[in-house]
Amino acid sequence: MICPRCDDSRADKIFEAPEDGSWELYRCPRCYFVWRNTEEEEVTNPDLYDPRFKLNEEKIAAMDPKPPIPPIRKENRTRHRDGG
Amino acid sequence: MPYGSLRDFLVKAEEEGQLLRIKEEVRPEPDIRAAACAAAKIPGGPVLLFEKIQGYRDKQVVMNVHGSWENHALTLDLPKKTTVKEQFHELAKRWDRYPLPAKRVTDAPVKEVILDKDFSLFRELPLFRVNPQDGGFYLSKACTIARDPENPENQNVGIYRIQVKDHDRLGIQLSAQHDLAAYLRKAEERDIPLRVAVSVTNDPIVSFVASSPLKYDEDEYAMIGALRGEPVEVISSERGNLDVPAGAELIIEGEILTRQRSVEGPFTEYTGSYSTSMLQVEIKVDLITRRRDPIIFENLYTGRPWGEIDYLMALNTSLTICKQMKADFPEVDAVNAMYTHGYCTIISSKMRFGGFAKTLGCKLLSTPHGITYPKLIIVVDEDVDPFDLEQVIWAMTVRFRPERDIAIIPNAPASTLDPAHLVRGLATKIIIDATKPVFPDIPLSDAGLVDLPEETAYWMDEIKKRMEELK
Repeated sequence: MICPRCDDSRADKIFEAPEDGSWELYRCPRCYFVWRNTEEEEVTNPDLYDPRFKLNEEKIAAMDPKPPIPPIRKENRTRHRDGG
Repeated sequence: MPYGSLRDFLVKAEEEGQLLRIKEEVRPEPDIRAAACAAAKIPGGPVLLFEKIQGYRDKQVVMNVHGSWENHALTLDLPKKTTVKEQFHELAKRWDRYPLPAKRVTDAPVKEVILDKDFSLFRELPLFRVNPQDGGFYLSKACTIARDPENPENQNVGIYRIQVKDHDRLGIQLSAQHDLAAYLRKAEERDIPLRVAVSVTNDPIVSFVASSPLKYDEDEYAMIGALRGEPVEVISSERGNLDVPAGAELIIEGEILTRQRSVEGPFTEYTGSYSTSMLQVEIKVDLITRRRDPIIFENLYTGRPWGEIDYLMALNTSLTICKQMKADFPEVDAVNAMYTHGYCTIISSKMRFGGFAKTLGCKLLSTPHGITYPKLIIVVDEDVDPFDLEQVIWAMTVRFRPERDIAIIPNAPASTLDPAHLVRGLATKIIIDATKPVFPDIPLSDAGLVDLPEETAYWMDEIKKRMEELK
């Protein structure tokens, strides 16, 4: 299955409607997009997905971390090493 | 009587004609979002209870709990016709009962079922996409609980947007100015784990306080107690020594994956636009506790204002800022921070001396919420009701002198979600002094204010009464 948002081909079915199987959920392992097969075509079809929201490896690599990851304090670095 | 859970509140809302049951089967998308959006656009719009969700036999969805001033009044256990200003002043009175600490209980329905393996969040909750370009299914009204790693008696209860990324994986947005981001920073600097619990479907007063910008060391549970008039009941999490609301429908427990970030979003924010995708924090879920009965999932529709989120964050934000400002400047009468989560904030106050409005503007910018959110700050005299925009605009037209009464603070800290930013997280703030100039400033000429005719209030009541009789 192709991820409608980032076109990764590894997207896979992860769940289906517990009661009656009336829908299925899919998930992309790269951009974590989750979708239901019964949603609008603009959400489920890679060709119709709004280009402003499309993702790719380059865009993901350029994203800011929120919040930024602080450096480990010196005293904790030592403890961390000692403790394995 | 205060409520103990959302279920208690729904009973009251139904008695008061503010609950609409949607009995037919609805599709998770797009039915729930469309109906929730509509309910909040209708003046006096009801709470919606979706009784049958396609694909789930044992789940229901509740939307628009805070989505009208009538619903808002009922969540505070006030008559549904209580006006906005009356709700504000009632809350201001109750606020002074703080702190009323939580009461610990050892048994609650939320512990009836404990799942610690092979669970799926998609099975436990009837999740749905709030808006079409959201990056996933979101818990947009759940309350997250955590403890300060340095000072564990300091516990935070806050509403942070949460993306369900897998059966046992959540993404969470932690903006740097919020308490949980400060806890995370401490945990990441020490390279130690950080436990969290996520409380789904709560007594509406819990969501109200969880979305209030209290000070870092203030106790949300003790404020919930103050506002409801009785201690709120909490119960211990299964792991990690957290206090979780005993009245919740379902609790998700897990650990933040420190020192890593992954793709999250976009999500439709209170600005009425989609945020961008960013690399954000993840939670590995290891345990769920819940009620045995069919689960009611309460969620929040966010879209173009006004909607439920604007009602939810209106008076709690306004009141919190007002109390924080009054602590240093008792002249402050009221604060209206209802517009786009306070991007526009209106302060009404007595003026101590000329230029004092700018002092108040700067004070606002040093409150926890004011550090980032407000960018358009309007200061009016105490004879102007900041909740009445006609009066505010009147003050701006007759008391504001652009050549003297504007202060601009460039490149100040700002909300990272502001779509108008040039540099994300920075904005230029503007303080507009729409007060009458007082000594040593130059008084306005021709400023003799006309008083309302003495018997206006009598005639207003009289006219309303006679109009009612005509009906």
